[in-house]
Amino acid sequence: MSVRSAEIISYYAGYVILGTSLLMIIPVVTALLSQEWVPLLDFTISMGIAASLGLIFVLLGRRTRGQAGSIQWKHGFAVAALSWIILMFLCSIPYMLSGHTYSYLDACFDVMSGFTTTGLVLTQDLDHLSNALNMWRHMLTFIGGQGMVVLALSFIVKESSGGYKFYVGEGKDIALVPNVKGTARIIWKISMVYFLFGTIVLWIAGLFIGLNPASALLHAIYMFESSWSTGGFAPMTQNIMYYHSFLYEVVTMVFFIIGSFNFGLHYAIWQGKRKEFVRNIEIQSFAITAFLATALAIAALSRTGLYMDAVSMFRRVVFNVVSAHTTTGLGSVYARQFALQWGDAGILIMVIVMLIGGSACSTAGGFKGLRVGIVFKGIISDVKKLLSSERSMRVYKFHYMKDIVLSDGLVRASALIIICYMVLFGIGTLLGTFCGYSLADSSFEAASVTGNVGLSIGITSASMPAVMKIYYILAMYLGRLEFLSVFALIGMAITGVKRIWKRKRG
Amino acid sequence: MEKKTRLIYCILTVFISLTLVGFPIYAQEAAVSVNELIEHSADYNGKSISITGEAIGECLERGEFDWVNISDGSNAIGIWMSKKDAAMITCYGDYKYTGDTVIITGTFYEACPEHGGEPDIHCQTLIISKVGELKNEKIPVAKILLAAGFASSALFLYVAYRQIFRKKA
Repeated sequence: MSVRSAEIISYYAGYVILGTSLLMIIPVVTALLSQEWVPLLDFTISMGIAASLGLIFVLLGRRTRGQAGSIQWKHGFAVAALSWIILMFLCSIPYMLSGHTYSYLDACFDVMSGFTTTGLVLTQDLDHLSNALNMWRHMLTFIGGQGMVVLALSFIVKESSGGYKFYVGEGKDIALVPNVKGTARIIWKISMVYFLFGTIVLWIAGLFIGLNPASALLHAIYMFESSWSTGGFAPMTQNIMYYHSFLYEVVTMVFFIIGSFNFGLHYAIWQGKRKEFVRNIEIQSFAITAFLATALAIAALSRTGLYMDAVSMFRRVVFNVVSAHTTTGLGSVYARQFALQWGDAGILIMVIVMLIGGSACSTAGGFKGLRVGIVFKGIISDVKKLLSSERSMRVYKFHYMKDIVLSDGLVRASALIIICYMVLFGIGTLLGTFCGYSLADSSFEAASVTGNVGLSIGITSASMPAVMKIYYILAMYLGRLEFLSVFALIGMAITGVKRIWKRKRG
Repeated sequence: MEKKTRLIYCILTVFISLTLVGFPIYAQEAAVSVNELIEHSADYNGKSISITGEAIGECLERGEFDWVNISDGSNAIGIWMSKKDAAMITCYGDYKYTGDTVIITGTFYEACPEHGGEPDIHCQTLIISKVGELKNEKIPVAKILLAAGFASSALFLYVAYRQIFRKKA
């Protein structure tokens, strides 16, 4: 990595950090309104540290100003990957200062879980958390879902050229309008309209189920942010079970299903292209896999005789399967119930849907329905080619916002990412078994972190080995950024070290 | 048989009888943790149990009955109770308050058919063992100093940033 590259990365990463420090104003205001004085200080300290570091980074890369044209793909990837790591450390400070985590590692775990919209929790005693920290946790997952780097750079940095490279670096690759600033603003506009609508709906639902008006509003904000971003966090230990409400579960379920759809699809529907919903390969893929998984899970769970009526089956089985498939992670059963009551068939179904995940360019994780659809269509087209005459030249297409030719390169690229996810999942499962957990438990938890889901079978706890916490952080990070950015950052770091080494020897 | 020996036999008989009669009740209603209930849900399903924990969040009113969530430190669970029982709880735990500590005796359901398959407890008796209270929020001086220090450093760097970029412009 050259000095020039380091300066470019420092400059843009600095703005991302600065943008995140400004976001801490929201929990600061929450602390003021709730008269929570210690959390107010915690966030002031964190904001001071983040803003100082962000400014130092910007100043170090000051020569980059006005030269956005020199940004290359590697810089976009490296800024995205590096910013996420630095932000993890900075955003963990309020957690650590609150005293609700046993260690800084646990705090980092929760922040990465939030950023990546995973939803696994190591924070202790959620029921006594301040409103400020709860606001911060849910904000992180909401912003993480839409893309932090894109948010910061679209709204803070004036130059817009080169922005697409940061956008792709953060795992999103759809251009809704020709420039990335416009695309990022559309993504945020869509999310904010849903935010207002969703918060009002959940607030009314909250009042209906017996919450007092003020807490109903806070719960509505938290649960919408968590559902829409397919995050899985909740303000109370019992997660969605705290509310004991079919209505609340159905409303959150609607939002996490919508949240797992591609932003391009939302935009197409907003523009009146309603047919896109039926023709889109991701929606077709999601509908098929969700239906099959739900039907199989119902069949598997009905044999246990645990849930005897349709309502119970819907609230405990369908809700959890769809939550897993959309990589949300809101759970309507206790973690240990998966291990003790769902049986091997139930666990396997959950593992599969957690790995598949939601749509590309959405808030969801997993290796995405789009890739599953492409690989599946690729297999079918290969079989058809084998069966048809050698003379016939047929072009195979699929519909994803527009008709796209199914090329071998596209199928190979999709298969490669799926293989990367499977390797990550395999290592996670192996590590779990090495640490003494059963194969079923290890694979469930590994699928949950790899797919950024957040459902737990009981492994994720403050007492789990530190090596597993570190691996899970890495898996969430790699899974969310879809490998490329992290590989680019590692590649640049290795090149930089090699150069220094050569210079010293020379 | 001697009078003394007869007396000893009598006491022993009464003791053994009481133990035999009392033990199942004790075993059935000994305080269990929420995690223990979940871990051995099939064993406790439909049985009368007793749990001790803190009332958290708020009371969720549902017609003639209310939901109250209880946390015992290991986990939390919903208790389905009458309005009269719920009214006895005056303080619920959150950031500012420690909720009332309650002893609940009731029937545990691993997948309650009445409540959509949720694991819950239907309350029979409720005892407030400790009244909740407002927590004393102490503001550490070190945090005030750190906040002032980092805010100043951010302000100083911002001034430097403004000056450097104004010169460049």
